[in-house]
Amino acid sequence: MTDHTKPRPAFAPWDRRELPGLFSVEESARRVGNYKWAEMRLFEVLGGWVATIPELDVKMVLGRHTYHHAWHAELWHKRLPELREMNPDRLTQPPNDEFVTFMNAIREPEAPELTIEKLTGVYRVLIPRFIAVYTYHLNGTSTITDAPTIRSLKFALQDEFEDWRDGEMLLQSLIDTPEKVERANARQAELEKLYLASGGIAGPGSLGDDSEATVGERSVESTHA
Amino acid sequence: MKKMLPESELARDERFVRTKIEDRLFDPRGPKIAQRNTGPARMGVDRPAAGERSRSLMHGIFVGEIQALEGAGRTCYDFDEPDAPFALKLDMARQCWDESRHCEISVKLGDHMGTEIGEYTESTFLFAAACNPDPVLRLCGVNRALEGLAIDVFNSMKTFGNESGDPILEFCEDWMLADEVTHVKMGSDWLRRLTEKDPERRERALEFQRTVDAIFNLGGFRGEDDENPVQLARNFRRLAGFTEEENDSLAELARESTEQARQMAEAATATLNASSQGGS
Repeated sequence: MTDHTKPRPAFAPWDRRELPGLFSVEESARRVGNYKWAEMRLFEVLGGWVATIPELDVKMVLGRHTYHHAWHAELWHKRLPELREMNPDRLTQPPNDEFVTFMNAIREPEAPELTIEKLTGVYRVLIPRFIAVYTYHLNGTSTITDAPTIRSLKFALQDEFEDWRDGEMLLQSLIDTPEKVERANARQAELEKLYLASGGIAGPGSLGDDSEATVGERSVESTHA
Repeated sequence: MKKMLPESELARDERFVRTKIEDRLFDPRGPKIAQRNTGPARMGVDRPAAGERSRSLMHGIFVGEIQALEGAGRTCYDFDEPDAPFALKLDMARQCWDESRHCEISVKLGDHMGTEIGEYTESTFLFAAACNPDPVLRLCGVNRALEGLAIDVFNSMKTFGNESGDPILEFCEDWMLADEVTHVKMGSDWLRRLTEKDPERRERALEFQRTVDAIFNLGGFRGEDDENPVQLARNFRRLAGFTEEENDSLAELARESTEQARQMAEAATATLNASSQGGS
């Protein structure tokens, strides 16, 4: 018979979660507000594009993905008050004007012959960056204090990975001539430059502060020298 | 990309053939077809044309689902707050996924029933109702009138699947029926919330719904008699939030439409007979 009064450690040996994290409550809320804004703009345009896309398989996949991104926006909307932002609209903002320019460029194509341009923007530029910024947040935030955000990030990331794969496979099946390769490449390059100018979905520092990392690396190098 | 996409710009591949609703109504072959005594229009397994009618209806469901998907998607995009609150857009995004599944189901059911994309024509009236510039009218026209019609259609098809010994058809229609009840409830909920302080706007929206209902009753397509291919599904409509008064009013409207269609067919037949006698 086990002794149920025998003390056990609060954390099992395999539970390696730690308290420290990169983000304060305010910083986490700011990022979550940026995510919600970007997910909203994305689900709106996916829904709007459905009627403009003649390829039946693409049309139906976009219908499904519209809901995925709306659901992510809802997750972030519900998280904001838990991060002390009682007016979620206040933080539902783009990080800067350059990011608005980038999202407007993503949403620009309309004509039925522009399916490659539409999909390239979403599945080769924007969604890989959602994966990157969500992964950065997931890996950097406190695994104990910010656990609810982590849970939502994991749900969102699962969709992002699957949606990216759907979109990439559709693109590969649509890009069947060297000219279409050029079209997709040109579109990707145009949008990546705009994204670069914005600093990312959460603005500069979306994937951490490069300058600080460099300083840290230099000090390690000088110690070794 | 612009807001408010006209129905003429709906993107389709080359298999799809588009017709206008008036082309169908004023089809010169109509009087001759009306002369044939093919018995009750209600889809019954004992009717010789049941297979053909069910395939045609299945194709109609398929193109209707595409347009419902497109309409819900456009509602996500066409409006900003406060015209369309965030929660309304979330509902429309959810509806996009549902309609997308319905398209997938309809394509597979079409294969199963022996038809294919493009075998029948597509009329884009459903999307036209989804183009209304007022989101409340759009929701009333689509989520209450057309999704309500979908309840009737899916229930009729489900019954047909059961009676004809087709468990796949019955199974799929039952699942789609569940989604449509949800969509009608969304429409009723948003009608109430968005017009809480604007009874005039509510009345305009309900009037628009009645117009759309009347158009889809044309020719006695829907009703409660054997003459109507699609039967009014009162129980499921109740579940979706339609009142008994609304159901009675729709049934009355359907009877009027059926009677008008019968009178038009009789008049056309008489004209046809007179001209053929005069010519002999």
